[in-house]
Amino acid sequence: MVHKPLLVKRSDQQTTAALKALGEPRRVEILQLLRKGSLAVGEIAARVDVTQQAVSQHLAVLGQAGLVEARREGTRSVYAVRPDGFAPVEEFVRSFWTPRLRALKDDIEGKK
Amino acid sequence: MSATFRTSIEIAAAQEEVFDYFVRPELLVRWMGDYARLEASEGGIFSVDINGVMIRGHFVRVERPNLIEIAWGEAGNAAMPPGATRLLVTLAAQGAGTRLTLEHIGLVPPEAKKHAMGWPHFIARLAIAARGDDPGPDPWKTTPPG
Repeated sequence: MVHKPLLVKRSDQQTTAALKALGEPRRVEILQLLRKGSLAVGEIAARVDVTQQAVSQHLAVLGQAGLVEARREGTRSVYAVRPDGFAPVEEFVRSFWTPRLRALKDDIEGKK
Repeated sequence: MSATFRTSIEIAAAQEEVFDYFVRPELLVRWMGDYARLEASEGGIFSVDINGVMIRGHFVRVERPNLIEIAWGEAGNAAMPPGATRLLVTLAAQGAGTRLTLEHIGLVPPEAKKHAMGWPHFIARLAIAARGDDPGPDPWKTTPPG
């Protein structure tokens, strides 16, 4: 049994939400589309092989994870990528490699 | 929103020696994973179990003592199948030691694929680090993070 901390840090929650959101190929596809520019729900649905309703649900997940945000462009409501939302994810990858490379360094240098 | 992670560290050892830590299983597991199977040649198997996460892929380039490129993925992870991401390790002589630069690249070239897997490697990192953070036997955990 894994010991769980009593309090899950907010950043951990954000990271988990972001990673879960990214764990679905359709959502990755939607993000790829939005990287090129903001789009309305209908425009996304026209480019991705799912219903508008499904797109809305994916956008909701992405939005809750902080990876996209809704914006107003005149009378239109569009969705755009939110770059700041990816920071916890990058930090997470860092948390994988940093201790490992540190262990590598210590092991090699420790043999001297 | 970079899909490439890049980091660098200086190691007080010769390039050749650091290189071996990526291509010899008994040395790899000293710093990453519990069990490894490595065939360090172009197309050769790269397989390492990290606390139950089965990293699977193959060596793409093995250029002793300067460069190692590994196709990196996870068995059973549909978002990041074996070999789906790239790990690029560059070793450069620096004084008497070695400058190690590691890049983890998750994006496939946009022209190569329309259903591009944008950030799947992050998901695998979650699985790994989440388990890596667990208490219990974990060889590399004895070393505190940077």
